[in-house]
Amino acid sequence: MMRNAQALGVGAATALLLSSASAVYAADPIKVGVVTPLSGSYAPIGKQVRWGAELAVKEINAAGGVKGRPFELLFEDEEANPPVAVRKSEKLLQQDKVDLLTGTVNSGSTLAVGQLAERNGRILVTTVSYATSITGPQCNPNVFRVNANAYMQSNALTGWLTKNVPGKRYFFIGPDYEMGRSTISAFQADIKRLGGTEVGASFPPLGAKDFTPYIGQIRAGRPDVIMTATAGNDTVRLLTQLKEYGILDGKLVLAGAAGAVTQENIGAMGGAGEGFLSAAGYSIDINSAANKKFVDAFRAEFKNDPDLFAADTYGLFFLFKQAIEKAGSTEADKLRPAMEDMSWDTPQGKKTIRKGDHQAIVDMVVVQVKGDKFVTVGTVPGAEAVGPDTCDKF
Amino acid sequence: MEDLLPYLHFVVLPQVIDGLIIGVALALVALGLTMIFGLLDVINLAHGEFYMLGGYAAFTLVAAGMGYWSALILVPLLIGVLGWGLEEVGIRPLMQRPDRAIVTLLLTFGVSLILRDVAQVVWGTETHSVAAPIAGISNLAGALVPNYRLFVFAVGVLVIAVTWWLVYRTQIGAVLRATAVDPKVVSSFGIPIRLVYGFTFVYGCGLAGLAGVLLAPLYAVFPTMGHDFLILAFAVVIVGGMGSIIGAVIAALALTQVHGLASLWIPPVWAETLVYCVMLLVLIVRPAGLFNRLGEA
Amino acid sequence: MTAQIPSAEPADRVSGVVAAAAVPARPISPLRWLGWTMVIVAAVFPWLGGPFYTRLALESLLLGALALSVDILLGYAGLLSLGQAAYFGLAAYASALLYLHVTDSFWLVLLAVSALTAAVSLLLGAVAIRAKGVYFALITFGAAEILSKITHNTRALGGSDGLIGIPVPSIALAPGYAVSLQNDMVFYYVVLVAIVAIYLATRRILDTAFGAVLLAIRGNAGRVPYLGYNPFWYKLLAYVLAAQIAAFGGMIYPMLRGFVAPHLFGFEMSTKAVVMALVGGVGTLIGPLLGSPIITFLESFIGSYTERHLIVLGVIFVVFVMFLPDGLCGLVRRLLTRGERRR
Repeated sequence: MMRNAQALGVGAATALLLSSASAVYAADPIKVGVVTPLSGSYAPIGKQVRWGAELAVKEINAAGGVKGRPFELLFEDEEANPPVAVRKSEKLLQQDKVDLLTGTVNSGSTLAVGQLAERNGRILVTTVSYATSITGPQCNPNVFRVNANAYMQSNALTGWLTKNVPGKRYFFIGPDYEMGRSTISAFQADIKRLGGTEVGASFPPLGAKDFTPYIGQIRAGRPDVIMTATAGNDTVRLLTQLKEYGILDGKLVLAGAAGAVTQENIGAMGGAGEGFLSAAGYSIDINSAANKKFVDAFRAEFKNDPDLFAADTYGLFFLFKQAIEKAGSTEADKLRPAMEDMSWDTPQGKKTIRKGDHQAIVDMVVVQVKGDKFVTVGTVPGAEAVGPDTCDKF
Repeated sequence: MEDLLPYLHFVVLPQVIDGLIIGVALALVALGLTMIFGLLDVINLAHGEFYMLGGYAAFTLVAAGMGYWSALILVPLLIGVLGWGLEEVGIRPLMQRPDRAIVTLLLTFGVSLILRDVAQVVWGTETHSVAAPIAGISNLAGALVPNYRLFVFAVGVLVIAVTWWLVYRTQIGAVLRATAVDPKVVSSFGIPIRLVYGFTFVYGCGLAGLAGVLLAPLYAVFPTMGHDFLILAFAVVIVGGMGSIIGAVIAALALTQVHGLASLWIPPVWAETLVYCVMLLVLIVRPAGLFNRLGEA
Repeated sequence: MTAQIPSAEPADRVSGVVAAAAVPARPISPLRWLGWTMVIVAAVFPWLGGPFYTRLALESLLLGALALSVDILLGYAGLLSLGQAAYFGLAAYASALLYLHVTDSFWLVLLAVSALTAAVSLLLGAVAIRAKGVYFALITFGAAEILSKITHNTRALGGSDGLIGIPVPSIALAPGYAVSLQNDMVFYYVVLVAIVAIYLATRRILDTAFGAVLLAIRGNAGRVPYLGYNPFWYKLLAYVLAAQIAAFGGMIYPMLRGFVAPHLFGFEMSTKAVVMALVGGVGTLIGPLLGSPIITFLESFIGSYTERHLIVLGVIFVVFVMFLPDGLCGLVRRLLTRGERRR
């Protein structure tokens, strides 16, 4: 009964495996609704989320499920559009009677769906959204987050940069909308606190094609480090244009948010992203047995490398398994206390959910782009990166 | 006052030069749009998608081993053929209707939805890019300009000049302009109108495809890139005058300068609002646009 | 000397989104059957559907108001608006902000939102209507885009995340007695009654000389001044009316879904409304109210089977534009008329 939307060979194989797996169990499946962008400009992220979920469910079901109950995934396309996300989530909750929700990518969707989940007595866990407000001022007792948030990324990255880069002149560039600006202001505050000097900040519009005007400002500022909060196509354009104008020759260090350079846009950089530094909760080259096993299985199944979105989603299901086994139920009121303060194993190590704000404490890695790969160059322990608990709603 | 000159030299001048380059590329896109409207009364909302497909075609051909230069020649032809297909299958059956301006707008809108999703199916959701065939930077009076952008400028100007020559100095152009005024009279001369319409669509969409190839190394290639230029292109066409070639070129250059220079002093999102307000202003003061249509003097 | 020669072709060939002024676009008897059927189906639907479908139907009613506003402009005044979502979004945000920070009173919000919408639509309409046909479409499109961008960039309006936490209101009917909309069915019926009332009121307004002048403008705007009417004021009035109806839908949205986001101003929203009007049948007023639930439910179903919903929507749209320009209402009218003729 898996609702696989695409008839890819992979999807069909997984479906076959899962249905044969669930045929073994007479018990009720645990339904997990995955509302994620499967079309539109965020589709690359949704694809990784989906793959991570599918792999995790396949492995867990093959190993006996959750006390005999298999996971069942139901996918819906939210198109990175909160009104659509809410509509689809409501369908999953009320028509399909899912036990758990996950998959939302942009913060607006996570906030709106979280509200809906609360009204329906179910739990939503985000594995991608990194706006700090989700586990901060706009926290919700039914919403959890297992990925690193913007604060953690900035904290880890700026800490590493100020220790390892000799130059102290920083230029910030981020898309001119709420998320971009708040990411940059986190960078700015941290750099200032750690003794760096800001030589300029620019905010091109989201989706800007041409960064030439900002390149003039960058040149005028003569920075040692450029920190960017652009994502997807904007990053490709920014970096290729920086290279075009000759700014990237020399000792300039590129750094930025984890979403700026990912599996999905690194191919288009043409080398312009070389040396780009970011801090994230995951890197493909994390040297642990668990991660190697995960990456090998992922590559075998999907013929692609996993990124942080896939890894965080994959890890989530093991949290679900552990928590459901402890709580004996998937109802929010019973599951919530089980999930709070729980630690569980993921490909990137042990994660712990902080009770006060439902944010997972994650060991951060600082990664650098070398060629078309991401290479870990430093780590920051989770407790150090996670920052204060600013949630006071529960 | 001592600060003003360096400011003009190092901040404003590069901005103006860059604006000219982008303006020329925008003019290419707007030209196709305005020709199609000027001649057929058709607003092609799928025009942005032809630009997108031009970029993708360039990516595919280059990735398959064909050099960039061959792609530069081939892609506009391919996209032109695609445009012709749209014209034959979709537009022509609707040309008889009294409300054809609106209906063709709606049709091309539907087509744009389809094309955008098709692109995602065929090429996937990741961003792709095309390597720029020319490297290096030139120093123009203190402003640094990448050589490839100069190339784009040159090609753009050349194509615009050729288009102007075609429309105003050749027999074909005379037929085009006459058809814009009165198709029935032209067809009574024995000239097949459907070929005229078809040619216009091919040429217009080919221009969009050309812009796609030219800009792919600068702006990357991804399914929603059609939106980059669409709104701006329409503003250009409205301000310049629907159907006016000169209008499209001048308006493209002017609006990009407005946008670019405004971005230096006000937040970018307000710069776009400014362009929009300019468009509204022109519409209030001179609803037909700044220049006259293809057919008129 | 226009080419408005009465056609000898059968009625079903006189198609076109904007029909000739000689043929009134009101529903004749066959559509009255359709109207009644729709009301009955809508009335019993919550009993059949369950909470999710009831709320989905509720949302489709709100979107139906948006589509209706498109139809008033397109089918009567001949103006294609590609930015009606501007008013939907404006009303949604105004309603959300008022409920979050200012008041609990439904009537106060209704009043404030109507006033705001009237002001904005007067301003924008006065500018936009001076432009001809397709320019109007592009101006309205631009207006919605600008509003969307402004909202997207302003922290106080929630930025790209939007605003959450909008409470479900109660409507005060008499001192001490209020209808709470917490119950999905109650909410549904309240909105259904309101939409039907809006439809009937619109029908009434457009059945007067006002509507006739609009139709005349649509058919041949150049001639109308010679009859003594200034098209500008008629079109403006129609525009303001349409904006109010779109705003009603938008105002209720945050009450239903508990949040607002910049996507409510978006191009997808405006164009979906146009698709709904087209699929239902432009110029019939019933058409958009038929098209809205069809498209809304269709999208919900399609989404479960494929991510390629844009292609499906696009194909449906193209098919209707090319082959069924008078929409489903036109189809129904033709089928029922043919049936009657046989008798």
